[in-house]
Order: sequence, then structure tokens, then C-alpha cells
Amino acid sequence: MGSHSSSDTFADQVRASPGGEKITYCFSCGTCTATCPIQWIEENYNPRRIIKMVMLGMRDQVLSSPVIWLCSACDICYRRCPQGIRISDLMKAIRDVAIQEGYEPVRMVAEVDQRACAGCGMCAQACPYEAIELRTKWVNGQQSTLPEVDRFLCHGCGTCAAICPSSAISVEDLSDDMIVAQIREFADEMG
Amino acid sequence: MVDAARHPKVDVRTYTEVERVEGFVGNFQVQLREKSRYVIADRCNGCGECAKVCPIEVPNYFEMNLAPRKAAYVPMSQSVPLVYNIDMDACIHCYKCVEACGKLDAIDFSMEDELVWEDVGAIIVATGFSHFDPSVIPEYGYGRYPNVVTAIEIERLINSAGPTAGDLIRPSDGTHPRRLAIINCVGSRDKRFNPWCSNFCCMYAIKNAILMKQVNPEMDITVYYIDIRTPSKGYEAFYDRAREMGIRFLQGRPALITEDPETQNLYVHSEDVSLGQVIEREYDMVMLNQAAVPQPDVDTVSSVLNISQSPGGWFMEYHPKLRPMDSPTDGVFLAGACQGAKDIPASVAQGSAAASRAGRVLHVPEWEIEPVVASVWEDRCISAQGKKCGVCSRACPYGAIEYEQGKAPRIFIAKCHGCGGCVAECPQNAITQLHFTDAQILAQIRALLADRPEEKILAFRCHWCSYGGADMAGTSHFEYTANERGLRVMCSARMDNDFIYEAFRLGAGAVLYSGCHPQDCHYITGQRVGSARAERLLKAFDKMGMTEGRFRVEWISAAEGDKYARVLNEMQATLDSIPKEQLMEEIERLRPQMEKRARRMREAPQVEEALEFADRLKAAMIGQEV
Repeated sequence: MGSHSSSDTFADQVRASPGGEKITYCFSCGTCTATCPIQWIEENYNPRRIIKMVMLGMRDQVLSSPVIWLCSACDICYRRCPQGIRISDLMKAIRDVAIQEGYEPVRMVAEVDQRACAGCGMCAQACPYEAIELRTKWVNGQQSTLPEVDRFLCHGCGTCAAICPSSAISVEDLSDDMIVAQIREFADEMG
Repeated sequence: MVDAARHPKVDVRTYTEVERVEGFVGNFQVQLREKSRYVIADRCNGCGECAKVCPIEVPNYFEMNLAPRKAAYVPMSQSVPLVYNIDMDACIHCYKCVEACGKLDAIDFSMEDELVWEDVGAIIVATGFSHFDPSVIPEYGYGRYPNVVTAIEIERLINSAGPTAGDLIRPSDGTHPRRLAIINCVGSRDKRFNPWCSNFCCMYAIKNAILMKQVNPEMDITVYYIDIRTPSKGYEAFYDRAREMGIRFLQGRPALITEDPETQNLYVHSEDVSLGQVIEREYDMVMLNQAAVPQPDVDTVSSVLNISQSPGGWFMEYHPKLRPMDSPTDGVFLAGACQGAKDIPASVAQGSAAASRAGRVLHVPEWEIEPVVASVWEDRCISAQGKKCGVCSRACPYGAIEYEQGKAPRIFIAKCHGCGGCVAECPQNAITQLHFTDAQILAQIRALLADRPEEKILAFRCHWCSYGGADMAGTSHFEYTANERGLRVMCSARMDNDFIYEAFRLGAGAVLYSGCHPQDCHYITGQRVGSARAERLLKAFDKMGMTEGRFRVEWISAAEGDKYARVLNEMQATLDSIPKEQLMEEIERLRPQMEKRARRMREAPQVEEALEFADRLKAAMIGQEV
């Protein structure tokens, strides 16, 4: 019979995950990789190669790789892809599979400093990934509205940190103070 | 071309457009617009004195606007016939050309377009293709960076008869490029623009690279590609030769071209797919190998000739494998890239095939057609009784039915292909199709459902696709339910409402309504007529409360044997899931409604009556003058 029960292959799993539908369109032209601004910084991030590895069924190598968490969803590659694949969606589908299978995200995530937060909610509005939700909580016997970051959705872009009027949210390891210190150091070096 | 023009039996009409086509195979009347050249062809000897004195210069389209031409011009030096032409959009009416022409007196500014009618037996369409404009791809910078040029511009620049006499120079500064990149698949294999592979560009890139390398062996030429396709005889050897000559092939589609504003050199950013590394290389010049696209006026041509288009706008062939040179309209044939991007050997083969097809039409006194044509039963037609109708004429994909209120419609049998759309659509049952009469099909339905109809799945299949699909399922040994009973008609357009009602009235367990995929329809738009009807039926049955899945509509191609088997098995599963008593109750409950809707079936002629009618019709057809 013509029916083949291959629904358990890795590629089919990614394809069934929302955003992964077009994975078979890829003909490995490399436009995405040559476009990618992340690739300039992190050479190991190669979207074309990740797609190929998924198609070849290299499940563990892909899902445990730190690079699948790097896509910043700038979508420049989507505009150039001749097959119309939205690679940001595809990477999200791969990450969703990783989360389902119990792999931990390997990336920086925004963190809220509850003492400094005023609960204004600007961070939640600014987040491009809808990773921040406002929750009402009891803190020190007081009811207060505080943002909560979904670490699976957060990409660590820092938009929330930039917009926060109270400097109460920052991406781990990259607080405002640290960035300012880096700028000062640069300025000193440049004279 | 010169030989053709000199041939006593060939009449070349250049600068002429086909405005209208009437008639049918063997008897076309074609209206031609002979455009005014403002030069009398019989008097012009092609000396070119007029162009010499003409003071006006405009960009030369033939040279990709890389060189000028005069307002008095020939399109190219090899033009046939070699007759000059005055570009009235550019002309300033100084009349210097008239003076220069002197005694020949060939220039006539009062000339106007002429409309002429010609009788022809067959038509070959060889309108060719056009080129994709790469300026719509912003990342390649065509139009912004002077040294990014198209393949056709390179073609003119390296041609010894071109504007630079074959000297390849950079448009920005006129220097000779040392490093040149060729980028393939610009606008083709690209779902944003043209999803198809343009067929010949790989070979074209290799050809241009070899030509340039022969002139300047020092030149560094790199071809960027997604896949190199060299499928025909000798093509792979040509590719080998290019690599031997030192032409570099780099797998990876460039993502971006940037320009150094000072030197106007170009940086091509791509991934070398084999290395998995992003690379950036500097070039003096970049050639974009752009896609082949249909001519911009395909819509006009296809409506004038009544031929359909494949997705994308290429003219549709009758059958992609067996009849690639025939259009769906009898007597109209296709040659070359107007039917799909193809290279020279394929175009020559198709052109020769089309010519011999046309010759076949011209050399016989009588033309045989399929005997499955439709015919009007005048005493039933309401139009003949003075009422407004015209349903048949609207359903016909070939324009074979001439409708006029107050008269029975006239069917041109030479144009009729026998899809049966008009027959099924006619609200009065006033049209019949030979060999597929209502009586014949009803007799088949009744026979197939004679025994335990509630267990049967009656499958209506179109001749070209789903019947072939069922065949494919059989020859591939795909097992499917033995309760299927197949019934063939020419097209899904022939699958009359009443056939479906009759099947359910007789108590059929399930009915499949199947035909070609819309883009594969063998009767231009027959499938659309059929699918619109199927949609209405689905809604009607849903309203009646029929269990979902008992009436199913599927488009199955001749290659989809697995799909045919799967659909039938799914339908069997649906039937199995309904308890027998419930099914019998439903059949009984719906029977009166089916009977009510299918009531005009009772008026359908008996087989003897139909046969007698067919005899009458045959006699009439033989007598019909065409």
C-alpha cells in the first residue's frame, strides 16, 4: 500500500509542530545562512544545516544543540528565502519539540527584580514574543501586580529591559550597569 | 529566416498582430493588424540612407538599451524583411529621411494600420518567452549598482555584432572586468516570483562563462548555483569542459550583493553549502541569470485563440507527455517556449512536431473528431420556445455553442470536444451527448445498483484522470474495497445532478464524485463546471441530513492510484461505521426527496428512443456542411 506510517520520524514531528509545516520546501540553497546576522557573531548557527539535520533525523544532535535557541526572529531570511519558509517559525517549531522532549533552553532570559518593579506593565506590552504576563501576587503581605517571564518564550532580546522605567527587568548577565560599564571602558580605550 | 521568407509557399508577415480568430479546425478566419511602418515595404531596398540622416537617437531595445538607434531604423541587422521602420513616438517630422530616400520614394507618413482577414486551416503559436526583471529583488541591487547586469545584457556585450563589438566592459567605467560572478536562478525556483525551473539557464550560464573565458583565459569566473541541471545529451560534457577551463562553480544562492561606492566593485555574500561556511567574495561585475517568464500579453493571445494557460501563464498543452505540441483547441498548435521554458533543441523538436501536426490538418479533405459530441434536442429547448436561457453556451469551455434567444442553440460539432458539461447543465434535458446519453448512463447506474445497493459505493470517474487513477490503483496492486462500482464519463462536468439523485434514490450506500485536479482538466474549464455542481450537491445533501461521507467529492489524477485506493477504503470505513438499520432508515427517509429532485429523470428517453435519436443525429451530422 502507498501509505507509509512514518509519523514518528523527527522531520515529521517538526512538520506537525506549528510553524514547521514548510520544512520539506528547503532545497538547501544557503540564502538564510548567508543572510543571518546571528551567523556573523556565532559561526555555529547555520539554519540551513539545522534544517538538513532535521531532515536526516539527527534528533539528539539538533535538540541538544545550543544554537537552536539563537534565532532572534528578525525575519530577514524569510524575506529572501526563495521557498517562502519562515525560518523563525521553523526554529520555534524545533524548540517546541525540544521542550516537549524535555530539553532545557540554552539561552539568556529576562529576569524581574521584584523589589524595584512598579508593576506598570510596559515590559509586557513591549515584548515581541508575548513572553511576559502580568500576575497579581502577594509579596510581603501586600498584593501587587508583577510581571512574570515565560522562560520558554523569552528570547533574551532585552526590549523589556530597555523600556522599563524602573530598571527592574534585565536580561541575565547583561544588566544596565554592566552595559554602561562596558561603554565606559570602550570610551576610555578610544580615549 | 531568409530561406523561409524566400520560399514560394511561405508568406512571412512581420510587424503584424492577430486581432481575432473565428471558425474552427481547418476553417479558421483570422483578422490581422498589419502595423504601419511608414515605409512602403515593396519600395524599400534596405539601403539605410534614411537612418544615416535621421537626427533622432533613442535607446536600442534590441541591444538591451546599451546602445542608441535612430528613429528610422531596422530592429536588428538580420531583420527579415530588411525594411526600415519609422518610430513615430520619437520622430520629429523633419522629413530628412524622405529627402534621403529620393527616387525610391519609399517613405509614406500618411500610412495607417491595415486590417485584413485571411483564411487558414491551422494555427501554430510560437510567441516565445520574456525575461524576468531582476530589479524587484532588492538584495541583488540590479538597477542600483551599474555593474550588476542581466544575462541578456552580457549576451549583447560579448556579441561581436553588439554595441561594443564583443569587448566586455563594465558599465560603470568601461574597464575590462577581471573577476565576474554569474548568479543562477534569479527569479526562478523562487516562490516569491516564479516557482518553476527555467530549464535552460544552467547551460546558458556555462555557455556564457566559456565564451568569456575563451576571449580572456585570465578571467576569474564563478558560477553561483542551487543545483546545476545538465540533463540532455552532451550537456554534462559541456559542464565538465567549463570546469576544466577553470570556471569555478560554487553551490549556494547569494543572499546579498553590496557595492564598494568608490571602486564600484561588488561583494557577493553567500554560503558555500559544501563547506557550510559563509563567504564574501569581491567581483568587478555580476551577471544575473534571470528567469524565463511568459510574454506579458499571454492573456490577450490566449483569449484571441481560446487556448488555456497552465499555472504561471504558459500556454497549456493538450497532454504533457503524449501531445505536448497540441493546444486544447483543435487546429491550434504550440511550439517553443510559449508552452513552457525550454532550450533550442527542445524548441526545434516541438516546432517540427507542431508543423507536421498542422500539415496533417491541411492535407485531409475531412477531419475526424471524437464521436462523443453533444447535440440539441430542439423540441425540448426553452430558448427555441422564446424563453431566456443560454446555460449550455456558458458551460461550454470551447465556445462551441452559439446561443441566441428564441432559437435553439447551435453546436459547432467541429469545436465540440465532448466534455458533456452542457448536457448535464441543461435544465430542460434538451441536450444529449452521443455514447454518453442520459439513458445509457442511467441504465448503467441501475445495473450497478441492482443487487444490495446499500452495500455499494458508486464511483463516478472522469475518463482522463480519476478513471486512470483507478486503473493505476489496480496495476499497482493497491487493495481497495470490492464494493466499489465504477462508472466512466468523459469529464466531471458530465456528472449530472440527476445521476447522483438517482443513485441515492435506488439506495446506494455511498457515491464518489471524482475527476481531474482543476489545473489538469482536459476540457479547459470542464472541471470547474463539475466542481461547482458538486459543491451544490454537498450542501443539498447536508441540508437533507445525509450522513457525512456518503457523498464524497475528490479530485484524483491518473498518477494517484494510492489516493484512489485510500479514498475508497475511507468511504468503506464510513459505511461500516453506520449501523445497518440506521443506514436503511436514512435511505428510506431520503428516498422521497431524491425522487422529487430527480423527477425529470422519469422523462428521460428510453434506450430505443435514444438510439433512434442518435441515428437521426448521425444522419444530420454527415450532411452538415462545415
